[in-house]
Amino acid sequence: MTNIKVLGVMIGTLAVYTWIANAIPQIESAVPEEVSFSADVSPAELVAAGAELYSGGGGCTTCHGLETRAPNLLTDYNGEGTIGQRCGTRVSGQDCKTYLHESMMDPAGYVLEGFEPMVFQARVLSGAQIWSLVAFLQDQGGVVTVSGSDVATAAEADAAAPAGGPMVASNDPLEIMRGNLCLGCHMLDGEGAELGPAFDGMGSRIATDRIRTGIIDPALEIAEGFDHLAGSMPPNLGDMLTARQLEVLVDFLAGQGG
Amino acid sequence: MGALKSVFRLLGTPFRPISSVMARFLNTPFRQATAVLLFSYVLIEVGIPFIPPLFGVASAPVPNTVVLEYLVIAIVGILLWVSDNEQRWSEFKQPIHDVLVQPERRMARGALLVIVPGFIAFQAYTSAQPDISAPPSFRAIHPAPPTSITFQGEQMVLDGLENPLRSAGSLEEHYEVGKSIYYKNCMACHGDGLQGRGHYAQAFNPAPLSFQDAGTIAMLTESFVFWRIAKGGPGLPSEGAPWNSAMPAWEDFLTADEIWSVIIFLYEQTGHDPRTWELEGEEH
Amino acid sequence: MPKISRRAEWSWLQASLPVAIVVAIGLIAIAIEPLAAQGYTPREYGDFPVIGSRAAIWIAAQLHLFFAAFVLGVPMFAVVAEAIGIFSSDDRYDKLAKEFTRLLLVSYSATAIWGAILVFGLITLYPGLWGYLSEIFAPSMWVYVGIFFFESFTLYLYYYGWDRWKKGRAKWGHWGLGILLNLWGTAVMLIANSWLTYMMSPPAEVTPDTAPGMVQFWSAFANATWMPINIHRLIANVVFGGAIVGAYAAYRFLSAKTDEERAHYDWMGYIGNFIAISALIVLPFAGYWLGREIYEFNQQMGTTMMGGFMSWLWVVQAFLIAVLFLAGNYYLWVGMGRIPGAERFMPYTKWMLLVLLIGAAVWATPRNMIADRAEITAMGGQFHPFLGVLGVMSAKNTAVNFMILTTFLSFLLYRRANKKAVVSWEKTGTTIQGALFAVSAAVVLFYGIYGYFVPSIVRIGFSVYQVLAVIAAIILVVVIDVFMMRGAESRGEIRWGEMPERSQYALFILAVTFTWLMGLMGFARSGIRQHWHVFEVIRDTSVDAATPALGYASIVISACVLIFLSLVTFIFWVGGLAEKPVISGTAVGATASASADGD
Repeated sequence: MTNIKVLGVMIGTLAVYTWIANAIPQIESAVPEEVSFSADVSPAELVAAGAELYSGGGGCTTCHGLETRAPNLLTDYNGEGTIGQRCGTRVSGQDCKTYLHESMMDPAGYVLEGFEPMVFQARVLSGAQIWSLVAFLQDQGGVVTVSGSDVATAAEADAAAPAGGPMVASNDPLEIMRGNLCLGCHMLDGEGAELGPAFDGMGSRIATDRIRTGIIDPALEIAEGFDHLAGSMPPNLGDMLTARQLEVLVDFLAGQGG
Repeated sequence: MGALKSVFRLLGTPFRPISSVMARFLNTPFRQATAVLLFSYVLIEVGIPFIPPLFGVASAPVPNTVVLEYLVIAIVGILLWVSDNEQRWSEFKQPIHDVLVQPERRMARGALLVIVPGFIAFQAYTSAQPDISAPPSFRAIHPAPPTSITFQGEQMVLDGLENPLRSAGSLEEHYEVGKSIYYKNCMACHGDGLQGRGHYAQAFNPAPLSFQDAGTIAMLTESFVFWRIAKGGPGLPSEGAPWNSAMPAWEDFLTADEIWSVIIFLYEQTGHDPRTWELEGEEH
Repeated sequence: MPKISRRAEWSWLQASLPVAIVVAIGLIAIAIEPLAAQGYTPREYGDFPVIGSRAAIWIAAQLHLFFAAFVLGVPMFAVVAEAIGIFSSDDRYDKLAKEFTRLLLVSYSATAIWGAILVFGLITLYPGLWGYLSEIFAPSMWVYVGIFFFESFTLYLYYYGWDRWKKGRAKWGHWGLGILLNLWGTAVMLIANSWLTYMMSPPAEVTPDTAPGMVQFWSAFANATWMPINIHRLIANVVFGGAIVGAYAAYRFLSAKTDEERAHYDWMGYIGNFIAISALIVLPFAGYWLGREIYEFNQQMGTTMMGGFMSWLWVVQAFLIAVLFLAGNYYLWVGMGRIPGAERFMPYTKWMLLVLLIGAAVWATPRNMIADRAEITAMGGQFHPFLGVLGVMSAKNTAVNFMILTTFLSFLLYRRANKKAVVSWEKTGTTIQGALFAVSAAVVLFYGIYGYFVPSIVRIGFSVYQVLAVIAAIILVVVIDVFMMRGAESRGEIRWGEMPERSQYALFILAVTFTWLMGLMGFARSGIRQHWHVFEVIRDTSVDAATPALGYASIVISACVLIFLSLVTFIFWVGGLAEKPVISGTAVGATASASADGD
């Protein structure tokens, strides 16, 4: 009898607690959706993924949100409408989709007058991600023509040839800088754009080691006054430079006295 | 004698006649327990709504879920009280035992055999009956904020973010700007007195929050308030469900500086201080 | 004595079991390493039938933790009880300590078995995560195995040497073994805690790209939440050990055949309850520190815990803690029935009960009320104009401090029940004690109310003042009491064993509630990582990545508690078969002074 009573008290207590926990609001903590693409991805999914990338991890808004550094893509520009409206007319003979894709794959190829080349490392993103960006931009006033087959082809290409290797073969510091689009954000002798800290006088401002870590791991330490741009410098420069190129750059920048 | 007698003694002389009448009636633990239970029910249901007016705040009924919660606590308490002393426990059980077995309590027993199943049937009926009222809402009013948001297309890190206007320009100016923005945009719902009783407030569920309440903006950092204003009802995370608030996403209508100045107005006007971020590396 | 030798054989077999298990795990873990080196990549996740991998690993970890907490908590007061026995020359305490240790011995293998189940579960169900963690923590895992080895052998020496090293200096040596046992146990816990706290709060320099080999061992080991968890668990283990010992005593009391047995287990239940409740009183402070560190580590993690999807968990926690306080106090009040002289305190219990109930009600008052549309309209929002005020931290801190003070008062009255002070300053002393209670209650209330009028950063500091006021009052009152009750006259001996059965069920509820609460807090601690294995470093990509709602969690927790209690019952039953405790009738007749030492 004692055993049954003890068992009853225990199970009863457990039952009451379980009941209370089930009677109150049940909130599950869902996992944020991971962007994943397959050949049967719908345009709407691509646009949504592109929107996320555009305003988030892609870092696009760092420049395209500023009127001076890059044309704004989401609003009217020069009376030509939003990017989805004007993309088809930018280069004759190229449809909207090709133009957007090409301009991302070759950032120096189509520079709008009055602007610096786009600081965009296509290799940071997967082929599928670039297509999602194209879809998002097309959706800004235009018709989305990116299809699942584009994405699938790009994904296959990515799988066949993983990204990597240097952007340029030269060991000349200026060539390296132009090739890697450093001057898209930093000023050197009147060349480049005033977005990040200037290269002029860099050697007298910070130590050589910090220049090196700044290239390899830009997020580690942000230059004073540039906090708002944290995360906009590509984190993969270490993969884009040969060891010799890196040292050439570091030596060159360290030598930029005031 | 029971807890009640002491309560009445505390209440003073005018109640003494009543107290002695009750004392004569409440002479067994069972009756006392029943009386205390009834008394606590009245206290919760009728007594608590009397408290807010004492502080100049409008009265409000106690939600049924909370009444139930308090009554369960009261019942547990009463059971503990009658059973923590051997003599009281057996006196308490006596009438229950009597009703169950004594021949002369046949009437009571019979009545209970009707009343108890009847009550359960009634409960079952009412809970199974279709109901037109909306289900109770379980929403969390202050859900966890994201670490960063995209404000008008730009990334904005909320974690550790301070109101930039507090360190730029004059506070009075920001206050004045915020004031005019508040009255142009917010007043219709949140009200003239910032008490959440604007013209449209009655129509909304959830109702607009009162900023005067010590539990709203006074508990939050300015960056949290910024997030809520910028993203409004549509930007609420799932804890804010099942029905999201009607608050618009103000990032579509106001600039960041305008929102920050409204925030300054809210805190200055209510006299609350925003919650501050803890200094990093601070040891306690 | 053939009987003893047979028992010894059986015990040695059982004794070597945990060590064998741990060594086997070590060997397997080492054997896996070269496989990985030969270009074989282990899969990320395994599958567990029916209940799924998450529930399987959850149950394994929770049960391992229950047993581990028990085998860490019990040696602490076994050693204290032995010391009291040595100092007071009261044989009862020595017997009690030995009986605790016997429970320990059998629970020890269960801990190791569940540890093995957990490790095999991790290897088979979460090989990716396991590989990652073992790469970072490899050295500490080897040390862990080594310490476990020493701990086991210290325990065997401690238990089997009990009767041999009984007298004089040898007894002190034996007591030293007990201390050593605690040191080993604590070291083992500290190491294991570092693994799990790393998953919660990895150092800031570790990012998703950091290879596990590049993680600095020490910064991963001594991470942000490591120390707070250590302290929190250390205290919680004592509470847990006390609660389980109390339940054990209650069970033996209920099934006792003789008055002597009843008296012994009544006394043992009292000691278990005393230890559990007195350690429980300090536990909120450790929990507060832990919460603070979590906030400081990551603001978002903190808000997820307190205000996010877990906000309702704290309402349930409040309910459970209220049950603990009520059950603990109730046990004392019922117990006053067997103390001559306690009648004079009986009228006060109902007022103490009232304070506890009001405290419980305040604590259980939700900030966001569950209300239907009409009620929300009537309230003008989801906050009740009066009850909403009770929903915030100021009110809850005040309530819990009042509950702690009340519980302490219960203990004080219980302790004083059968004593009559002989010192001349008895009246003054009691007045000072009363004043101390009043002052600390006033301080708690003052800061509780004042907290509504200051910014939250200041308010957070107030809870520290409240706590200090309560702790100071407790310490001062105890000091006064000890001096005041010196050589006190007895009003009659405590009639151990004359305890109504329902009081014993209070002990069961205490044990079940505490075990369940531990499971719930474990869910909270590991649930705030959400969809991360290692917070913001290693993402959970399994099918179970979402963190379940409280209802599901409560079912798993209840299942764990049920399994644990069934196993414990079995283990205690087996322990009872192996050795019948010898209870001498003379030792049981408690004198007033002996029970005073026990407090």
